[in-house]
Amino acid sequence: MTIVNMNKVNIIGLDSIKTELIKRIMDLGVIEVSSQDPKLTDPEWISYVKKDGNEDEVFSLDVKISQVNEVLNSLEKYDTSKRPLFITRKPITSDEFKKALDKNDGVSESVAKVLELNKSLSELCSEENKIEAAILSLKPWVKYDIPLNMTETKYTNIIMGTIPGIADIDELKSELFKTSDRCFLDVIDSDKDQYYCSFICLSDEKEDILELFKQYGFSPVTFKELSGTAAENIMQYENSLKDISAKRDTVENSIRELVTFKEEIQLYHDHLTIERDKNKILSNILKTDTTFYIEGWVPEVCKEKVQEVLEEYQCWYDFKEPEEDEDFPILLKNNSFSEPFDSITELYSLPATSNIDPTAVMAPFYVLFFGMMLGDVGYGLMFSLGCYIILKKFDIEGTFGKMLKVFFWGGLSTIFWGIMYGSWFGDGLVVGARHLFNINLPLTYVWVDPLKEPMTVLLVSFVMGLVHLFVGMGMSAYMSIRDGHLNDALMDVGLWYLFIIGPILWIAGDMIIAGSPLPVIGKWVTIASAIGLVLTQGRAKPNIVGKLTSGVLSLYGITGYLGDVLSYSRLLALGLATGVISSVLSLIGSMGSGIAGKIMFVLVFTFGHILNFAINGLGSFVHSARLQYVEFFGKFYEGGGDPFAPFTKKTKYIKFKEEI
Amino acid sequence: MEFTMGGFLAILGAATASMAGIGSAWGVAIAGMAAGGVIAEDPKKFGPTLMLQALPGTQGIYGLLIAFIIMNKIGVLGGSIAPLTTAQGLMFLAASLPSGITGTVSAVWQGKVAATGVQLVGKRPEEIAKAMVYAAMVETYAVLALLASFLMVNGIQI
Repeated sequence: MTIVNMNKVNIIGLDSIKTELIKRIMDLGVIEVSSQDPKLTDPEWISYVKKDGNEDEVFSLDVKISQVNEVLNSLEKYDTSKRPLFITRKPITSDEFKKALDKNDGVSESVAKVLELNKSLSELCSEENKIEAAILSLKPWVKYDIPLNMTETKYTNIIMGTIPGIADIDELKSELFKTSDRCFLDVIDSDKDQYYCSFICLSDEKEDILELFKQYGFSPVTFKELSGTAAENIMQYENSLKDISAKRDTVENSIRELVTFKEEIQLYHDHLTIERDKNKILSNILKTDTTFYIEGWVPEVCKEKVQEVLEEYQCWYDFKEPEEDEDFPILLKNNSFSEPFDSITELYSLPATSNIDPTAVMAPFYVLFFGMMLGDVGYGLMFSLGCYIILKKFDIEGTFGKMLKVFFWGGLSTIFWGIMYGSWFGDGLVVGARHLFNINLPLTYVWVDPLKEPMTVLLVSFVMGLVHLFVGMGMSAYMSIRDGHLNDALMDVGLWYLFIIGPILWIAGDMIIAGSPLPVIGKWVTIASAIGLVLTQGRAKPNIVGKLTSGVLSLYGITGYLGDVLSYSRLLALGLATGVISSVLSLIGSMGSGIAGKIMFVLVFTFGHILNFAINGLGSFVHSARLQYVEFFGKFYEGGGDPFAPFTKKTKYIKFKEEI
Repeated sequence: MEFTMGGFLAILGAATASMAGIGSAWGVAIAGMAAGGVIAEDPKKFGPTLMLQALPGTQGIYGLLIAFIIMNKIGVLGGSIAPLTTAQGLMFLAASLPSGITGTVSAVWQGKVAATGVQLVGKRPEEIAKAMVYAAMVETYAVLALLASFLMVNGIQI
């Protein structure tokens, strides 16, 4: 409905109460503590104050938090209990929270234990990798029966190595024979890349032979640290792999045992987060030797609560209205119907401080358009019931929860339009009843069948679009009047209203009421408003020529409005898409006959409609958002506001119940 | 069934309309390739990226829709094709063009926008709605083409 009025609050207090006050402010959760960095460069301030802060504490808490996160992640992996469909925060009172924290002082031990176990787990893993790599490098030599560390005898040298697969090994053999007849070459194995071979030669011929081998790309391989043959080594390695996997099982079991502490650790995580935030906020606070200074924003409605606390701690404080043109953080306040829709506003951008909260006006249009584009009783029921059940069973917060509520309302509207259009899973229900049970369901449209009379629906779509646009322009006029610019409202919105309505009456007046004077009225309204626009739209220009040129050019704006209105044809088109695909499904499904035909119908009906529901549901969501963002917001809305981010407990796993 | 030029042309029209599927396949592929890259980094983003990947798929459905309406109207689905004159056949062919051509081209481009949207979601998952609206901006023209084709097919007298 509105952007909440914000007050700027300044607080000065004694150092001795600082920690306690910060805790209370956090409990209240209604003050956004602004950063004071600009004041630190202001010569007027800098001589008195310096920046507070406790970076070290923040850092050490951050380290702890990331450790706890790691622990929770690994516990999550080993937690075999059934996970809920949606993860929600557990409600808890702050007393319970405190008690729980006091009770399990062993929690940091469990955390340390899991970290320790994680560490040994990763050590085991890396050892395993190392051994696996070693086995891989030994594999080609498994047929080599000389111990690997044996590289020479009294008179001979034994050299192992690889030769690339492209080398001609037969040629090498004959070349070798020419060089020396007292050398033994053994090709042990080969794969697609290389040959694995070893040769035994006399020690004094070694250099020559090695030289020859190198011409064929020979590169020596040594296993100095290993004794015994390759096969023996591999066996040993495989045994130690077994050991490692046994060890790993014990470690994993120990972690599994600690899963029972998960909830305590989650509490601990949130406790750490709260403590971290308390310390972090200090960097937004200024201090002198004995006092501190806090500046921030507080919603006007919460002023008294804040005042009470500040009185209690005997602080000096004052509240100020934001100055003209001063940007303040944006908090939207809406009634229970339109509140979830502020998530759609938020997805676009929060309003600038000088603008207006469009949510309440947008919400009914969003619901209407969503329903019209999906337009089916069955799909509407799926949306509404689905969202209703999820919302009943789970306490879902944030944007996702709001979206579910949006879809709940959208679903209701979809049901309405489904009844209007006579669409119950398209014609699926009617055809299904006839095909499966031989019953004729008397389901027919209440208003119109869009497949048979698309032009009627198209016309209604345009009219709805026009209303939507006019409301948008009205919002712009409202803001001009609110800011004291009545002229702007009249000239920029009022004249355009006339210049749009005029031509419509002129052209279509006869069709609306035959023989009426509407076309004539329309004609003169058009001419008068056109003249008005030419005279007024260039009023910002400095000279008369500029004024008139801008005025005349502004008439081209009508094409923009034309495009905007035509854009609403998607209300019909997407509705048609749902309906036609449904009837295609019914057609395909009812092709067979007998039992097989009935089974086929059920299958086609189920899967086809799930798919159609998903695709057209997505389409309706996106396209009704687009109509708001592009056509509607385009007429008046200016985003770019910063969201109100009060200093509060940002917990992940628990949710504090409001204490009474 | 007797071969008539009119019948042939009308079926050619249905085929042309459903060829918007070429564009959809292409567009979905473009978006899907981008999505694969994002998933490599963070498999949890499968849901949002899949939604974006699905967006260029609608043109193929719109094309199929027009094809079905034409087939239904000329009686292919019932098994007996209405005797169509060549002029009527040509009209069906002409009516299929917006859906076939605009659908194909817009799906490819929508795929490209969806691919950048996928990358946007990779970096800022909370901005998925904006990515979807950008892609929907392109789809507008496919929707308009669908409507044009639909109204034309609907208006042909047989």
